[in-house]
Amino acid sequence: MPSQPILETRDLSIAFGEYKAVDKVDFLINTGDCAGIIGPNGAGKSTFFNMLTGMYTPTAGAVFYQGVNITRLPVEKRVALGMVRTFQLVSVFDSLTVLQNMIPPVDRFRRQYANKRLFYFGEAESPEVVECCRTWLAKVGIEKRGREMTANLSYGEKRKLEIAMALSLEPKILLLDEPLAGLSDVEIKDVLGLIGGLRGKFTILLIEHKISQIQNLVRRLSVMHEGRMIAQGEPLEIIHDREIRRIYWGAGAE
Amino acid sequence: MISVIAYGLTLGGILYIISIGFSFTFGTMKIVNYAHALIFTIGGYILYATLPRIGFYPAAVLAATLGVIPIAFIIERFVIRNLYGESVDLTIIATYAVFLIGLDVLKWIWGSNPLQMSDPINKTFTFLGTELPVYRMAVIVIALALAILIEIFLQRSMAGKIVIAGLEDKETVRGLGISVQRYFTMVFIIGSALAALGGVLYAPITVVEPYMGFQILMLSFAVVIVGGLGNWRGTFVAAFFLGMVMSVTGRWWGPASEVAVFAILAVSLLIHPIDI
Ligand SMILES: Nc1ncnc2c1ncn2[C@@H]1O[C@H](COP(=O)(O)OP(=O)(O)OP(=O)(O)O)[C@@H](O)[C@H]1O
Ligand SMILES: [Mg+2]
Repeated sequence: MPSQPILETRDLSIAFGEYKAVDKVDFLINTGDCAGIIGPNGAGKSTFFNMLTGMYTPTAGAVFYQGVNITRLPVEKRVALGMVRTFQLVSVFDSLTVLQNMIPPVDRFRRQYANKRLFYFGEAESPEVVECCRTWLAKVGIEKRGREMTANLSYGEKRKLEIAMALSLEPKILLLDEPLAGLSDVEIKDVLGLIGGLRGKFTILLIEHKISQIQNLVRRLSVMHEGRMIAQGEPLEIIHDREIRRIYWGAGAE
Repeated sequence: MISVIAYGLTLGGILYIISIGFSFTFGTMKIVNYAHALIFTIGGYILYATLPRIGFYPAAVLAATLGVIPIAFIIERFVIRNLYGESVDLTIIATYAVFLIGLDVLKWIWGSNPLQMSDPINKTFTFLGTELPVYRMAVIVIALALAILIEIFLQRSMAGKIVIAGLEDKETVRGLGISVQRYFTMVFIIGSALAALGGVLYAPITVVEPYMGFQILMLSFAVVIVGGLGNWRGTFVAAFFLGMVMSVTGRWWGPASEVAVFAILAVSLLIHPIDI
Protein backbone atom coordinates (compact mmCIF):
# COMPACT_ATOMS: atom_id res chain seq x y z
CA MET A 1 0.00 0.00 0.00
CA PRO A 2 1.49 3.36 -0.97
CA SER A 3 1.77 5.60 2.07
CA GLN A 4 -1.03 8.01 2.65
CA PRO A 5 -0.58 11.29 4.46
CA ILE A 6 -2.17 11.07 7.91
CA LEU A 7 -1.54 14.65 8.92
CA GLU A 8 -0.89 17.66 6.76
CA THR A 9 -0.76 21.39 7.27
CA ARG A 10 -0.98 24.12 4.68
CA ASP A 11 0.20 27.64 5.33
CA LEU A 12 -0.40 27.07 9.02
CA SER A 13 0.22 30.30 10.93
CA ILE A 14 -0.46 31.84 14.29
CA ALA A 15 0.42 35.28 15.56
CA PHE A 16 0.34 36.50 19.15
CA GLY A 17 -0.24 40.19 18.61
CA GLU A 18 2.40 41.22 16.09
CA TYR A 19 4.60 38.25 16.79
CA LYS A 20 4.38 35.41 14.28
CA ALA A 21 5.10 32.35 16.41
CA VAL A 22 4.38 29.97 13.53
CA ASP A 23 4.51 31.30 10.02
CA LYS A 24 3.07 29.59 6.91
CA VAL A 25 4.12 26.06 7.70
CA ASP A 26 3.53 23.33 5.14
CA PHE A 27 4.08 20.01 6.76
CA LEU A 28 3.21 16.42 5.95
CA ILE A 29 3.59 13.11 7.70
CA ASN A 30 2.64 9.75 6.21
CA THR A 31 0.69 7.01 7.93
CA GLY A 32 2.97 4.73 9.90
CA ASP A 33 5.97 7.02 9.71
CA CYS A 34 8.16 8.15 12.59
CA ALA A 35 9.30 11.73 12.23
CA GLY A 36 10.94 14.40 14.32
CA ILE A 37 10.87 18.16 14.54
CA ILE A 38 13.90 19.93 15.89
CA GLY A 39 14.63 23.58 16.44
CA PRO A 40 16.06 26.00 18.97
CA ASN A 41 14.20 27.49 21.93
CA GLY A 42 11.20 29.54 20.94
CA ALA A 43 11.21 28.27 17.36
CA GLY A 44 7.48 27.58 17.58
CA LYS A 45 7.54 23.79 17.86
CA SER A 46 5.15 23.48 20.77
CA THR A 47 2.92 26.15 19.31
CA PHE A 48 2.80 24.16 16.09
CA PHE A 49 1.75 21.06 18.09
CA ASN A 50 -0.89 23.09 19.88
CA MET A 51 -2.45 23.95 16.56
CA LEU A 52 -2.26 20.36 15.35
CA THR A 53 -4.10 19.15 18.45
CA GLY A 54 -6.60 22.00 18.62
CA MET A 55 -5.42 23.81 21.73
CA TYR A 56 -4.65 26.93 19.70
CA THR A 57 -6.73 28.19 16.81
CA PRO A 58 -4.52 29.18 13.87
CA THR A 59 -4.78 32.71 12.54
CA ALA A 60 -4.36 31.35 9.02
CA GLY A 61 -3.90 28.10 7.16
CA ALA A 62 -5.38 24.66 7.68
CA VAL A 63 -4.78 21.26 9.27
CA PHE A 64 -5.84 18.10 7.49
CA TYR A 65 -6.19 14.76 9.20
CA GLN A 66 -6.63 11.77 6.91
CA GLY A 67 -7.63 14.19 4.21
CA VAL A 68 -10.28 15.95 6.28
CA ASN A 69 -9.97 19.59 7.28
CA ILE A 70 -9.95 19.61 11.08
CA THR A 71 -8.63 23.15 11.62
CA ARG A 72 -11.51 24.08 13.92
CA LEU A 73 -12.28 20.74 15.50
CA PRO A 74 -12.17 20.78 19.33
CA VAL A 75 -9.34 19.00 21.13
CA GLU A 76 -11.41 16.12 22.46
CA LYS A 77 -12.89 15.29 19.05
CA ARG A 78 -9.42 15.03 17.58
CA VAL A 79 -8.50 12.56 20.28
CA ALA A 80 -11.55 10.55 19.31
CA LEU A 81 -10.19 10.44 15.76
CA GLY A 82 -6.92 9.01 17.04
CA MET A 83 -4.73 12.07 17.49
CA VAL A 84 -3.09 11.86 20.89
CA ARG A 85 -0.34 13.94 22.44
CA THR A 86 1.95 14.35 25.42
CA PHE A 87 3.11 17.69 26.74
CA GLN A 88 6.52 19.32 27.04
CA LEU A 89 5.94 19.68 30.76
CA VAL A 90 4.72 16.26 31.86
CA SER A 91 0.97 16.46 32.36
CA VAL A 92 -0.35 13.90 34.79
CA PHE A 93 -2.66 14.32 37.78
CA ASP A 94 -0.64 14.63 40.98
CA SER A 95 -3.77 14.49 43.15
CA LEU A 96 -4.64 10.96 41.99
CA THR A 97 -2.79 7.68 42.39
CA VAL A 98 -0.84 6.36 39.42
CA LEU A 99 -3.54 3.85 38.66
CA GLN A 100 -6.30 6.42 38.97
CA ASN A 101 -4.52 8.56 36.40
CA MET A 102 -5.26 5.82 33.92
CA ILE A 103 -8.98 5.85 34.68
CA PRO A 104 -10.10 8.90 32.68
CA PRO A 105 -8.42 7.79 29.44
CA VAL A 106 -9.47 4.18 29.88
CA ASP A 107 -12.99 5.32 30.66
CA ARG A 108 -13.19 7.35 27.50
CA PHE A 109 -11.93 4.44 25.49
CA ARG A 110 -14.30 1.92 27.02
CA ARG A 111 -17.32 3.98 26.24
CA GLN A 112 -16.23 4.96 22.74
CA TYR A 113 -16.38 8.71 22.89
CA ALA A 114 -19.74 10.49 22.79
CA ASN A 115 -21.99 7.46 22.89
CA LYS A 116 -25.49 7.55 24.27
CA ARG A 117 -24.48 8.03 27.87
CA LEU A 118 -23.66 11.55 28.95
CA PHE A 119 -21.76 10.62 32.07
CA TYR A 120 -20.37 7.48 33.43
CA PHE A 121 -21.18 6.90 37.08
CA GLY A 122 -19.85 3.37 37.15
CA GLU A 123 -17.49 2.31 39.87
CA ALA A 124 -14.12 3.90 39.22
CA GLU A 125 -11.97 1.06 40.46
CA SER A 126 -13.91 -2.00 39.48
CA PRO A 127 -11.69 -5.09 39.02
CA GLU A 128 -12.20 -4.83 35.29
CA VAL A 129 -11.02 -1.22 35.09
CA VAL A 130 -8.08 -1.83 37.42
CA GLU A 131 -6.99 -4.78 35.30
CA CYS A 132 -7.17 -2.68 32.17
CA CYS A 133 -5.18 0.17 33.77
CA ARG A 134 -2.52 -2.24 35.01
CA THR A 135 -2.01 -3.67 31.56
CA TRP A 136 -1.22 -0.23 30.21
CA LEU A 137 1.07 0.61 33.12
CA ALA A 138 2.93 -2.65 32.50
CA LYS A 139 3.62 -1.60 28.94
CA VAL A 140 5.75 1.27 30.21
CA GLY A 141 7.15 -0.67 33.14
CA ILE A 142 5.58 1.16 36.09
CA GLU A 143 2.82 -1.29 37.07
CA LYS A 144 4.44 -1.76 40.50
CA ARG A 145 3.85 1.92 41.27
CA GLY A 146 0.08 1.70 40.71
CA ARG A 147 -0.99 2.49 44.29
CA GLU A 148 1.53 5.28 44.76
CA MET A 149 0.41 8.91 44.74
CA THR A 150 1.51 10.36 41.44
CA ALA A 151 3.10 13.33 43.18
CA ASN A 152 5.71 10.90 44.60
CA LEU A 153 6.93 9.67 41.22
CA SER A 154 10.19 10.80 39.66
CA TYR A 155 9.91 13.00 36.61
CA GLY A 156 10.89 10.09 34.40
CA GLU A 157 8.22 7.85 35.90
CA LYS A 158 5.66 10.57 35.38
CA ARG A 159 6.75 10.76 31.76
CA LYS A 160 6.20 7.04 31.39
CA LEU A 161 2.80 7.34 33.03
CA GLU A 162 1.90 10.11 30.62
CA ILE A 163 2.93 7.89 27.72
CA ALA A 164 0.88 5.00 29.14
CA MET A 165 -2.15 7.28 29.31
CA ALA A 166 -1.58 8.31 25.71
CA LEU A 167 -1.17 4.70 24.57
CA SER A 168 -4.38 3.64 26.28
CA LEU A 169 -6.23 6.03 23.98
CA GLU A 170 -5.07 3.80 21.11
CA PRO A 171 -3.66 6.58 18.93
CA LYS A 172 -3.38 6.52 15.19
CA ILE A 173 -0.84 9.30 15.50
CA LEU A 174 1.07 10.08 18.66
CA LEU A 175 2.56 13.55 19.09
CA LEU A 176 5.32 13.74 21.69
CA ASP A 177 6.53 17.17 22.77
CA GLU A 178 10.12 16.78 23.99
CA PRO A 179 9.55 13.43 25.68
CA LEU A 180 13.21 13.31 26.77
CA ALA A 181 13.46 16.77 28.30
CA GLY A 182 14.32 16.76 31.98
CA LEU A 183 15.07 13.04 32.19
CA SER A 184 18.22 11.40 33.54
CA ASP A 185 20.48 9.48 31.14
CA VAL A 186 19.03 6.14 32.27
CA GLU A 187 15.50 7.39 31.85
CA ILE A 188 16.31 8.78 28.41
CA LYS A 189 17.48 5.32 27.36
CA ASP A 190 14.27 3.79 28.73
CA VAL A 191 11.97 6.22 27.03
CA LEU A 192 13.88 6.06 23.75
CA GLY A 193 13.55 2.27 23.88
CA LEU A 194 9.87 2.62 24.59
CA ILE A 195 9.27 4.94 21.66
CA GLY A 196 11.47 2.77 19.42
CA GLY A 197 9.24 -0.20 20.24
CA LEU A 198 6.17 1.73 19.16
CA ARG A 199 7.47 2.48 15.70
CA GLY A 200 5.44 0.80 13.01
CA LYS A 201 2.40 0.35 15.26
CA PHE A 202 1.14 3.83 14.56
CA THR A 203 2.42 7.15 13.30
CA ILE A 204 4.78 9.03 15.60
CA LEU A 205 5.79 12.67 15.48
CA LEU A 206 8.12 13.98 18.14
CA ILE A 207 9.76 17.24 19.04
CA GLU A 208 13.30 17.25 20.31
CA HIS A 209 15.95 19.82 21.03
CA LYS A 210 19.03 17.83 20.20
CA ILE A 211 19.43 16.11 16.86
CA SER A 212 21.79 13.51 18.29
CA GLN A 213 19.16 12.03 20.61
CA ILE A 214 16.78 11.05 17.86
CA GLN A 215 18.76 10.76 14.67
CA ASN A 216 18.61 6.98 14.85
CA LEU A 217 14.99 6.91 15.93
CA VAL A 218 13.24 8.91 13.24
CA ARG A 219 13.07 8.39 9.53
CA ARG A 220 12.39 11.99 8.70
CA LEU A 221 13.41 15.20 10.33
CA SER A 222 12.07 18.73 10.00
CA VAL A 223 13.78 21.81 11.27
CA MET A 224 11.90 24.76 12.68
CA HIS A 225 13.42 28.14 13.10
CA GLU A 226 11.73 31.41 14.03
CA GLY A 227 8.29 30.09 13.22
CA ARG A 228 9.23 28.60 9.88
CA MET A 229 9.85 25.05 8.78
CA ILE A 230 13.19 25.62 7.11
CA ALA A 231 14.12 22.10 6.09
CA GLN A 232 12.70 18.61 5.85
CA GLY A 233 14.49 15.43 4.93
CA GLU A 234 16.30 12.36 6.15
CA PRO A 235 18.20 12.81 9.41
CA LEU A 236 21.64 12.47 7.82
CA GLU A 237 20.86 14.96 5.09
CA ILE A 238 19.70 17.44 7.67
CA ILE A 239 22.70 16.95 9.93
CA HIS A 240 25.08 17.62 7.10
CA ASP A 241 23.28 20.61 5.69
CA ARG A 242 25.55 23.65 5.97
CA GLU A 243 22.81 26.20 6.41
CA ILE A 244 21.16 24.22 9.17
CA ARG A 245 24.41 23.69 11.00
CA ARG A 246 25.03 27.40 10.85
CA ILE A 247 21.59 28.22 12.28
CA TYR A 248 21.85 25.55 14.88
CA TRP A 249 25.27 26.46 16.16
CA GLY A 250 24.43 30.06 15.76
CA ALA A 251 21.45 29.54 18.02
CA GLY A 252 23.57 27.82 20.62
CA ALA A 253 22.07 24.35 20.50
CA GLU A 254 24.59 21.57 19.96
CA MET B 1 -21.01 27.43 75.84
CA ILE B 2 -22.71 24.35 74.41
CA SER B 3 -25.21 26.52 72.57
CA VAL B 4 -22.38 28.60 71.08
CA ILE B 5 -20.73 25.46 69.75
CA ALA B 6 -24.01 24.11 68.43
CA TYR B 7 -24.75 27.37 66.65
CA GLY B 8 -21.23 27.40 65.22
CA LEU B 9 -21.73 23.93 63.81
CA THR B 10 -25.10 24.89 62.33
CA LEU B 11 -23.60 27.95 60.67
CA GLY B 12 -20.69 25.80 59.52
CA GLY B 13 -23.09 23.27 58.01
CA ILE B 14 -24.96 25.95 56.11
CA LEU B 15 -21.75 27.59 54.96
CA TYR B 16 -20.54 24.23 53.72
CA ILE B 17 -23.70 23.45 51.80
CA ILE B 18 -23.59 26.82 50.10
CA SER B 19 -19.86 26.95 49.52
CA ILE B 20 -19.32 23.57 47.95
CA GLY B 21 -20.84 24.54 44.59
CA PHE B 22 -19.10 27.90 44.67
CA SER B 23 -15.85 26.11 45.45
CA PHE B 24 -16.14 23.74 42.49
CA THR B 25 -17.05 26.49 40.03
CA PHE B 26 -14.12 28.52 41.28
CA GLY B 27 -11.77 25.54 41.31
CA THR B 28 -12.66 24.07 37.93
CA MET B 29 -13.56 27.05 35.80
CA LYS B 30 -11.84 29.85 37.77
CA ILE B 31 -15.13 31.71 37.82
CA VAL B 32 -16.22 33.71 40.84
CA ASN B 33 -19.92 33.18 40.52
CA TYR B 34 -22.00 35.88 42.22
CA ALA B 35 -25.12 34.37 40.70
CA HIS B 36 -24.63 31.65 43.26
CA ALA B 37 -26.00 34.10 45.86
CA LEU B 38 -29.07 34.56 43.72
CA ILE B 39 -29.72 30.83 43.56
CA PHE B 40 -29.35 30.67 47.32
CA THR B 41 -31.92 33.45 47.75
CA ILE B 42 -34.30 31.92 45.22
CA GLY B 43 -34.15 28.70 47.25
CA GLY B 44 -35.41 30.60 50.29
CA TYR B 45 -38.21 32.23 48.32
CA ILE B 46 -39.38 29.03 46.65
CA LEU B 47 -39.60 27.47 50.09
CA TYR B 48 -41.60 30.45 51.34
CA ALA B 49 -43.94 30.26 48.36
CA THR B 50 -44.47 26.51 48.19
CA LEU B 51 -44.68 25.62 51.87
CA PRO B 52 -48.23 26.93 52.46
CA ARG B 53 -49.41 25.13 49.32
CA ILE B 54 -47.65 21.84 49.86
CA GLY B 55 -47.91 21.90 53.62
CA PHE B 56 -45.30 19.18 54.05
CA TYR B 57 -41.95 20.70 54.92
CA PRO B 58 -39.59 18.12 53.35
CA ALA B 59 -41.54 18.28 50.08
CA ALA B 60 -41.19 22.07 50.01
CA VAL B 61 -37.46 21.70 50.67
CA LEU B 62 -37.19 19.32 47.75
CA ALA B 63 -39.24 21.63 45.52
CA ALA B 64 -36.94 24.54 46.29
CA THR B 65 -33.78 22.50 45.79
CA LEU B 66 -34.87 21.01 42.48
CA GLY B 67 -36.78 24.11 41.39
CA VAL B 68 -33.59 26.10 40.85
CA ILE B 69 -32.13 23.54 38.46
CA PRO B 70 -33.68 25.04 35.31
CA ILE B 71 -32.54 28.49 36.41
CA ALA B 72 -29.03 27.21 37.09
CA PHE B 73 -29.05 25.51 33.72
CA ILE B 74 -29.92 28.74 31.94
CA ILE B 75 -27.29 30.70 33.86
CA GLU B 76 -24.68 28.09 33.03
CA ARG B 77 -25.60 27.87 29.39
CA PHE B 78 -25.82 31.57 28.62
CA VAL B 79 -23.49 33.23 31.11
CA ILE B 80 -21.03 30.92 32.83
CA ARG B 81 -20.04 29.00 29.73
CA ASN B 82 -19.17 32.19 27.91
CA LEU B 83 -16.94 33.26 30.77
CA TYR B 84 -14.80 30.20 30.50
CA GLY B 85 -11.17 31.30 30.28
CA GLU B 86 -12.00 34.97 30.85
CA SER B 87 -10.34 37.09 33.52
CA VAL B 88 -11.66 36.78 37.05
CA ASP B 89 -12.78 40.43 37.10
CA LEU B 90 -14.95 39.88 34.06
CA THR B 91 -16.52 36.79 35.61
CA ILE B 92 -17.37 38.83 38.71
CA ILE B 93 -18.92 41.66 36.70
CA ALA B 94 -20.98 39.34 34.51
CA THR B 95 -22.29 37.12 37.30
CA TYR B 96 -22.91 40.15 39.50
CA ALA B 97 -25.11 41.50 36.72
CA VAL B 98 -27.08 38.26 36.77
CA PHE B 99 -27.38 38.58 40.53
CA LEU B 100 -28.74 42.14 40.29
CA ILE B 101 -31.23 41.27 37.57
CA GLY B 102 -32.46 38.30 39.55
CA LEU B 103 -32.71 40.44 42.65
CA ASP B 104 -35.03 42.86 40.87
CA VAL B 105 -37.21 40.02 39.69
CA LEU B 106 -37.44 38.71 43.26
CA LYS B 107 -38.32 42.16 44.58
CA TRP B 108 -40.92 42.55 41.87
CA ILE B 109 -42.57 39.27 42.84
CA TRP B 110 -42.27 39.33 46.62
CA GLY B 111 -41.31 42.90 47.52
CA SER B 112 -38.29 43.75 49.63
CA ASN B 113 -39.77 43.21 53.07
CA PRO B 114 -38.19 40.45 55.09
CA LEU B 115 -40.42 37.40 55.28
CA GLN B 116 -40.44 35.49 58.51
CA MET B 117 -40.36 31.70 58.53
CA SER B 118 -41.05 29.58 61.55
CA ASP B 119 -38.89 26.76 62.81
CA PRO B 120 -40.24 23.75 60.91
CA ILE B 121 -39.51 21.28 63.70
CA ASN B 122 -40.05 23.60 66.62
CA LYS B 123 -38.82 21.19 69.23
CA THR B 124 -35.86 21.37 71.49
CA PHE B 125 -33.84 18.81 73.33
CA THR B 126 -31.57 19.08 76.31
CA PHE B 127 -27.91 18.29 75.92
CA LEU B 128 -25.61 18.61 78.96
CA GLY B 129 -28.10 20.94 80.56
CA THR B 130 -28.42 23.19 77.50
CA GLU B 131 -31.59 23.41 75.50
CA LEU B 132 -30.95 23.12 71.75
CA PRO B 133 -33.35 23.39 68.78
CA VAL B 134 -33.68 20.03 67.00
CA TYR B 135 -33.81 21.88 63.68
CA ARG B 136 -30.29 23.21 64.03
CA MET B 137 -29.01 19.74 64.77
CA ALA B 138 -30.82 18.47 61.68
CA VAL B 139 -28.95 21.05 59.59
CA ILE B 140 -25.62 19.75 60.89
CA VAL B 141 -26.58 16.17 60.11
CA ILE B 142 -27.64 17.10 56.58
CA ALA B 143 -24.35 18.91 55.98
CA LEU B 144 -22.34 15.94 57.17
CA ALA B 145 -24.39 13.54 55.06
CA LEU B 146 -23.79 15.70 52.00
CA ALA B 147 -20.08 15.83 52.66
CA ILE B 148 -19.99 12.05 52.78
CA LEU B 149 -22.04 11.72 49.58
CA ILE B 150 -19.73 14.12 47.77
CA GLU B 151 -16.70 12.22 48.99
CA ILE B 152 -18.18 8.94 47.76
CA PHE B 153 -19.04 10.46 44.40
CA LEU B 154 -15.53 11.85 43.93
CA GLN B 155 -13.67 8.81 45.20
CA ARG B 156 -15.73 5.98 43.86
CA SER B 157 -17.20 6.96 40.52
CA MET B 158 -15.56 7.43 37.15
CA ALA B 159 -17.22 10.81 36.81
CA GLY B 160 -15.78 11.79 40.18
CA LYS B 161 -12.26 10.92 39.09
CA ILE B 162 -12.70 13.03 35.99
CA VAL B 163 -13.88 15.95 38.10
CA ILE B 164 -10.83 15.64 40.39
CA ALA B 165 -8.55 15.49 37.37
CA GLY B 166 -10.37 18.52 35.92
CA LEU B 167 -9.82 20.48 39.11
CA GLU B 168 -6.11 19.89 38.74
CA ASP B 169 -5.69 20.48 35.01
CA LYS B 170 -8.64 20.74 32.68
CA GLU B 171 -6.56 21.07 29.51
CA THR B 172 -4.94 17.72 30.15
CA VAL B 173 -8.35 16.13 30.68
CA ARG B 174 -9.44 17.49 27.32
CA GLY B 175 -6.22 16.14 25.87
CA LEU B 176 -7.45 12.71 26.96
CA GLY B 177 -10.47 13.10 24.75
CA ILE B 178 -12.96 13.95 27.48
CA SER B 179 -15.46 16.83 27.15
CA VAL B 180 -14.53 18.14 30.53
CA GLN B 181 -16.95 21.05 30.14
CA ARG B 182 -19.81 18.60 30.34
CA TYR B 183 -18.65 17.45 33.76
CA PHE B 184 -18.20 21.02 34.92
CA THR B 185 -21.77 21.76 33.87
CA MET B 186 -23.01 18.81 35.88
CA VAL B 187 -21.03 19.95 38.90
CA PHE B 188 -22.34 23.47 38.46
CA ILE B 189 -25.95 22.29 38.45
CA ILE B 190 -25.47 20.11 41.51
CA GLY B 191 -23.64 22.93 43.27
CA SER B 192 -26.49 25.31 42.49
CA ALA B 193 -29.09 22.91 43.81
CA LEU B 194 -27.06 22.70 47.01
CA ALA B 195 -26.91 26.51 47.21
CA ALA B 196 -30.69 26.54 47.07
CA LEU B 197 -30.79 23.89 49.75
CA GLY B 198 -28.53 26.12 51.83
CA GLY B 199 -30.98 29.01 51.39
CA VAL B 200 -33.85 26.74 52.35
CA LEU B 201 -32.12 25.54 55.49
CA TYR B 202 -31.00 29.02 56.45
CA ALA B 203 -34.40 30.66 55.94
CA PRO B 204 -35.95 29.58 59.26
CA ILE B 205 -32.83 30.71 61.12
CA THR B 206 -32.92 34.24 59.71
CA VAL B 207 -35.51 35.77 57.41
CA VAL B 208 -36.12 35.52 53.69
CA GLU B 209 -35.21 38.79 52.00
CA PRO B 210 -33.72 39.75 48.63
CA TYR B 211 -30.24 40.43 49.98
CA MET B 212 -29.93 37.37 52.15
CA GLY B 213 -27.62 35.80 49.59
CA PHE B 214 -25.23 38.69 49.39
CA GLN B 215 -23.80 38.58 52.87
CA ILE B 216 -23.62 34.82 52.81
CA LEU B 217 -21.79 34.84 49.49
CA MET B 218 -19.02 36.97 51.00
CA LEU B 219 -18.72 34.43 53.78
CA SER B 220 -18.77 31.65 51.24
CA PHE B 221 -16.01 33.36 49.33
CA ALA B 222 -13.94 33.42 52.51
CA VAL B 223 -14.63 29.71 53.06
CA VAL B 224 -13.45 28.81 49.57
CA ILE B 225 -10.26 30.86 49.80
CA VAL B 226 -9.38 29.75 53.32
CA GLY B 227 -10.10 26.14 52.37
CA GLY B 228 -7.86 26.35 49.32
CA LEU B 229 -8.81 26.67 45.66
CA GLY B 230 -10.16 23.46 44.21
CA ASN B 231 -9.83 21.71 47.56
CA TRP B 232 -13.24 20.29 48.44
CA ARG B 233 -12.08 18.86 51.76
CA GLY B 234 -10.53 22.20 52.63
CA THR B 235 -13.89 23.79 51.90
CA PHE B 236 -15.48 21.45 54.41
CA VAL B 237 -12.97 22.20 57.15
CA ALA B 238 -12.97 25.94 56.49
CA ALA B 239 -16.79 26.11 56.54
CA PHE B 240 -17.02 24.60 60.01
CA PHE B 241 -14.02 26.50 61.26
CA LEU B 242 -15.40 29.85 60.11
CA GLY B 243 -18.89 28.96 61.32
CA MET B 244 -17.42 28.37 64.73
CA VAL B 245 -15.42 31.59 64.61
CA MET B 246 -18.59 33.51 63.77
CA SER B 247 -20.55 31.91 66.54
CA VAL B 248 -17.90 32.55 69.18
CA THR B 249 -17.12 36.14 68.22
CA GLY B 250 -20.82 36.84 67.64
CA ARG B 251 -21.57 35.81 71.20
CA TRP B 252 -18.99 38.24 72.46
CA TRP B 253 -19.98 41.13 70.20
CA GLY B 254 -22.41 40.68 67.30
CA PRO B 255 -20.82 42.89 64.62
CA ALA B 256 -17.40 41.31 65.24
CA SER B 257 -18.40 37.96 63.78
CA GLU B 258 -17.98 38.92 60.14
CA VAL B 259 -14.95 41.05 60.81
CA ALA B 260 -13.31 37.99 62.33
CA VAL B 261 -14.06 35.94 59.21
CA PHE B 262 -12.53 38.52 56.93
CA ALA B 263 -9.54 38.93 59.19
CA ILE B 264 -8.93 35.20 58.82
CA LEU B 265 -9.42 35.50 55.07
CA ALA B 266 -6.80 38.25 54.96
CA VAL B 267 -4.32 36.20 56.99
CA SER B 268 -4.91 33.19 54.75
CA LEU B 269 -4.26 35.30 51.67
CA LEU B 270 -1.04 36.56 53.20
CA ILE B 271 0.14 33.05 53.96
CA HIS B 272 -0.66 31.60 50.57
CA PRO B 273 -1.69 34.18 47.98
CA ILE B 274 -3.95 32.81 45.29
CA ASP B 275 -2.91 33.12 41.74
CA ILE B 276 -5.63 32.51 39.26
N1 LIG C 1 -0.13 31.68 24.30
C1 LIG C 1 0.92 32.43 23.88
N2 LIG C 1 0.87 33.78 23.95
C2 LIG C 1 1.90 34.53 23.55
N3 LIG C 1 3.04 34.04 23.03
C3 LIG C 1 3.16 32.71 22.93
C4 LIG C 1 2.11 31.83 23.34
N4 LIG C 1 2.50 30.54 23.14
C5 LIG C 1 3.74 30.63 22.62
N5 LIG C 1 4.14 31.91 22.48
C6 LIG C 1 5.40 32.38 21.93
O1 LIG C 1 5.66 31.70 20.73
C7 LIG C 1 7.04 31.43 20.60
C8 LIG C 1 7.25 29.97 20.30
O2 LIG C 1 7.02 29.23 21.49
P1 LIG C 1 7.04 27.65 21.51
O3 LIG C 1 6.70 27.24 22.88
O4 LIG C 1 6.22 27.12 20.41
O5 LIG C 1 8.57 27.34 21.23
P2 LIG C 1 9.31 25.94 21.17
O6 LIG C 1 9.88 25.80 19.83
O7 LIG C 1 8.41 24.87 21.65
O8 LIG C 1 10.50 26.21 22.21
P3 LIG C 1 11.09 25.26 23.36
O9 LIG C 1 12.14 24.44 22.73
O10 LIG C 1 11.65 26.24 24.33
O11 LIG C 1 9.97 24.47 23.92
C9 LIG C 1 7.71 31.87 21.88
O12 LIG C 1 8.31 33.13 21.66
C10 LIG C 1 6.58 32.03 22.84
O13 LIG C 1 6.82 33.04 23.77
MG1 LIG D 1 8.31 23.68 23.25
